[in-house]
Amino acid sequence: MPFKKLLGWVKKIFGKRKKIRLGLYGPPNAGKTTLANKISMDWTGTPVGEVSEVPHETREVQKKEHVIVKASGKTLEMNLLDMPGIATKIDYEDFLEFGLDVTEARARAKEATKGVIEAIKWLEHVDTALVVMDAGKDPYTQVNITIIGNLEARNIPVIIVANKIDLKDADAERIQEAFPQHPVVAVSGKTGKNITKLYDTIAKHSK
Amino acid sequence: MDIELEFVSIEVLAEKDGKEKMKFILDRIKKNKILVLEESLSPAEETELIESTMKQVSDDFPGIEVSNLREKTDGGLKEWLIRLLGGTTGGMTVIGPSKLIKKMKKEPQRILVSAGKK
Repeated sequence: MPFKKLLGWVKKIFGKRKKIRLGLYGPPNAGKTTLANKISMDWTGTPVGEVSEVPHETREVQKKEHVIVKASGKTLEMNLLDMPGIATKIDYEDFLEFGLDVTEARARAKEATKGVIEAIKWLEHVDTALVVMDAGKDPYTQVNITIIGNLEARNIPVIIVANKIDLKDADAERIQEAFPQHPVVAVSGKTGKNITKLYDTIAKHSK
Repeated sequence: MDIELEFVSIEVLAEKDGKEKMKFILDRIKKNKILVLEESLSPAEETELIESTMKQVSDDFPGIEVSNLREKTDGGLKEWLIRLLGGTTGGMTVIGPSKLIKKMKKEPQRILVSAGKK
């Protein structure tokens, strides 16, 4: 429609910011919160959430609103949504290995199951998704395929993040080979390596 | 310990709506069966299965292992037409209780499963 076109030009001329909800998805311990914290620290100076080596540290969706990112000549206003890790099993006994007692482990498992359900429910409410994978692990898992398949079915742009490239066994190429249909950005959320490339990719592919 | 495998024909699943299908699958998995379905669950069904599983997680049932193979089609229109006419694009799904499946490795054209009491 001509009016919509005109409105688009006016918005462009007056520098109207693009607003998106950016969801960070992936299996547990892929480094989603570390990456979300890095993005948030870079642009707001404050983190999103706590990080832990115990799986399922993020058990509810953590939000950081009004994150203004400038990349590739564009300005994006993002609501960062750090999702709980998606898994097909949550065994409280796995948490005992990290020093939790039985009561704590059971409580963590119960909260984690709710977190998985919440992350799934949010799938239809994000505008762009970062699917975060540990570059040191086999990317061709059913969980990764299920997440990406659901995003594709909803026409939500997917950017795959090959995270933890600071680790010596990281292999980002293996991720690109597994998912050739989507852009893959190799980064370290921990050290910040290649993070600018990720911002450029978000600016380019977000809708 | 014996391991029971159940191979399920596509006709059995075709009669069921989403909820019935999830109940059918999880009822069997909770009886320590490994199911091989003669169809690939869709991404939406996979998330529905994960959600249903999470609602039933307990000390005795920590969850499932699942993997599927999708038959490749030559593109959207053919697949769309097949589905519109009530058909399936094929494939298979393997699902088992995580307590029983030691390892399930997915590759583009095969699924490797190692099962036994842990």
